[in-house]
Amino acid sequence: MKFFRYLTLVIALGTSVTMLFSQSKEKFEQPILITSAGQSADVTLAASLCKKAGLNARAINRATAADVKDAKTLMIVPGFSSKGLGAAGISREQEMDRVKEVIAAAVKQKMKIFVLHIGGKPRRGVQSDDFNKVCAEASQAMIVVKAGNEDNFFSAIAASKKIGITVVEKIAEAIKPLEAACTKN
Amino acid sequence: MKTYRIVYRLFVSIALVTSLLVSQTVSVASKGDVAVGKDGMATTAHPLASKAAMEMLQRGGNAVDAAVAAAFAIGVVEADGSGLGGGGAMVVYLQKEQRSVFINYYQQASEKINEVNYNPATDNKSAKTILVPGNAAGLTSALEKYGTLPLAVVLAPAIKYAEEGFPLDETLSSIILDNNDLLAKYPSTAGIYLPEGFPIQQGETLKQPELARTLRAIAQQGRKGFYEGPVAEEIVKVVTENGGKMNMNDMKNYQVVISEPVRGTYRGYEILSADAPLSGASVIEAMNMLENADIKKMGHFSSSVNTTHLMAETMRRVYADRTSFIQDPRFAYIPTNGLISKDFAANRFNDINMATADPTDYRKTKSGNPLPYDAKSRKRISAPPQQQTTVDVRDDVDDEASSSKKESDPFDNWGKKKKSRIEPAPNATPEGKDDSTSQKKNGKSDPEKKEIESSYNMRAADSLGHLLVLYAELAEPPLMESDGHTTHLSVADKFGNVVSLTQTLGTFFGSGLTAAGVMMNGSLSNFSTTTSVNSIEPNKRPRSSIAPTIILKDGKPFMSVGSPGASRIVATVIQLIVNAIDFGMDAGENNRAPRFFCQKFEDYLHLESRFTDDVKEGLKKKGHTLREHAEFDLYFGGAQIIMIDQATGTFYGSADPRRGGAAIGD
Repeated sequence: MKFFRYLTLVIALGTSVTMLFSQSKEKFEQPILITSAGQSADVTLAASLCKKAGLNARAINRATAADVKDAKTLMIVPGFSSKGLGAAGISREQEMDRVKEVIAAAVKQKMKIFVLHIGGKPRRGVQSDDFNKVCAEASQAMIVVKAGNEDNFFSAIAASKKIGITVVEKIAEAIKPLEAACTKN
Repeated sequence: MKTYRIVYRLFVSIALVTSLLVSQTVSVASKGDVAVGKDGMATTAHPLASKAAMEMLQRGGNAVDAAVAAAFAIGVVEADGSGLGGGGAMVVYLQKEQRSVFINYYQQASEKINEVNYNPATDNKSAKTILVPGNAAGLTSALEKYGTLPLAVVLAPAIKYAEEGFPLDETLSSIILDNNDLLAKYPSTAGIYLPEGFPIQQGETLKQPELARTLRAIAQQGRKGFYEGPVAEEIVKVVTENGGKMNMNDMKNYQVVISEPVRGTYRGYEILSADAPLSGASVIEAMNMLENADIKKMGHFSSSVNTTHLMAETMRRVYADRTSFIQDPRFAYIPTNGLISKDFAANRFNDINMATADPTDYRKTKSGNPLPYDAKSRKRISAPPQQQTTVDVRDDVDDEASSSKKESDPFDNWGKKKKSRIEPAPNATPEGKDDSTSQKKNGKSDPEKKEIESSYNMRAADSLGHLLVLYAELAEPPLMESDGHTTHLSVADKFGNVVSLTQTLGTFFGSGLTAAGVMMNGSLSNFSTTTSVNSIEPNKRPRSSIAPTIILKDGKPFMSVGSPGASRIVATVIQLIVNAIDFGMDAGENNRAPRFFCQKFEDYLHLESRFTDDVKEGLKKKGHTLREHAEFDLYFGGAQIIMIDQATGTFYGSADPRRGGAAIGD
């Protein structure tokens, strides 16, 4: 009986670790440029996660194509916030144009793109999903908090684009996969 | 043992069946749907707060018991919007006495406020913005004067939610996420909302044991449990240590102000709302202006360019007037009777150019001059300042501009006769007629009001100074509230009593500082730092947009309404009244209708995306610059509406779909 319990535990652990690594084949170099897509406050949280993961990252809420050149990885934190857009004094359309420009600059520079969706349900819905889709489709890997992927929105994009995705229960649980996804400095 | 099991199972079965039967008698609605009740109705921004209210009604309590229970509870389960660390106001309709009262328990500046070195550019949302909270005083006082249940009973749901915790809903989790930086600022707050350093998420349980202890102290000792003793000492200590200004005198001396609500009429309905320094007078001014047009004939604003334009231009003028004249009436004379007079409204209405946004730059909207209209009917105060009678500012304000515009008929674009500038609506009240009625009701005959007014420290010389300086300084925009904070709740009972209550922390999560488990307000930013009107002074209460409102039809409650939403509150309440009275919308239709917002201190006309393309294009052609928001956007408030059909004795309640609330009817 005990044997089966241990066996189950070993299989479960093995599966988790395998999933984690199989989904994070891509390695992301530092320094990392973190930017928002939708001007939510989640960028601050992403910066905090990177700091705790010991990564060399710089956050610029409204990064432009010019900001991309000093970085080796672009980390996008998608999620619409009317409060954030209001504070920035820009419209949703202007924000979308900026996001597309930054992505295009990163692609041109052959830089890898990483999506960190940590806001859960509040960062889903009509207003957010346009940003989520554009960013997810341009990325090579994603870390997503489970509450934001209950309908498999991100998993479906990951499957169709064949990119790695790691789903975590809580925001704090994103630290380890972030650490694992990046090369050591 | 077997017998015990049988008895236990029997007990559980009976309890389940009972709860099922009880639940079947209760009507619950969220997301803008309508709950129906015969014995009572409560609608708040959180289902648990509505449940707390309903528990009181089912115990035989009245609307005040239920509203106070809900107000304490909402401060726990929607801690971003209000709570013990803030304040608010309520309008209460008392059926037995056939009268209404306005209870002002808004936050108040410390007697030492001038010692705060406050810089709005850097100190916003910090301990420096904390004012003396009024919530506990207001709620305990309302219960004591007009409630029937013991304080401990009314506080029980709030204590339970704080102690045992509750699952975080989408609205609160989203606001926590948006305010992560603020919540991380003070360790006492971060410990509650940012476990492991990151925001607590939807579905997780939020417990507030320290807050539960403070609520227990109030349950045991009444207001003293909060304003004196260990809780007060802890609050004063934490606020002071973090750069704020508050002392034990401030806490002990905080007073609730009880008076009559400000009154007006709209198409035969009577409006009772929150008097200065709150914004009920602005709602009434707007309704008086809109009464001059046949809005029903013009069409609903979401599909009529002209209606939206007219209402937007009305809002701009009302907000300009509000900023120029509304402040704490204990510190300056407020020409409220002028602001709410039908004649002044007609003058402001005639200033509107229906062809174009005028002036196109919203920030150049000029305030009107209510003083001549106020002088005709000044009955509100027992001792108006002597100098007031000599003040004539008509030449200084934009009456001149209004006169020149009289050539531009606002109805030209509609092909109406130039002379009939103001087309009375079918049920419109003749201008001026109801003004005298409302003034009589606001008069000095009420002994309670007289007593309160005589306690006001009217400072005549200062009033003159305020009015003279005002016009020179109006070019400088005052600091406006920008967040969508605050909360509203409405309760009605089977006895015919109704409560409309709005309370706030000033901004989402107020100052961000938690003391004795209580999130402290950030309402200093509601004072103006650029004009003398609403300036920061010791023991003064700042102007606020909140406007809890009750509407009577034939002298009986017809609707209880109000909304959070910072500066949008007045605009939202105006639209809710138009929806109900001009378009006959029920509570649910009203809450689901698209909303917009426009005011003086703005560059944009904000609207929800559900306005028709024709309206959007038409508004642009008239010179408005639009900013489109989500289909249902929290930016435009979170109204809690109760409508009462007096013929059948039925209550209809609706919680705004823009916020995670619920209406519960019994």
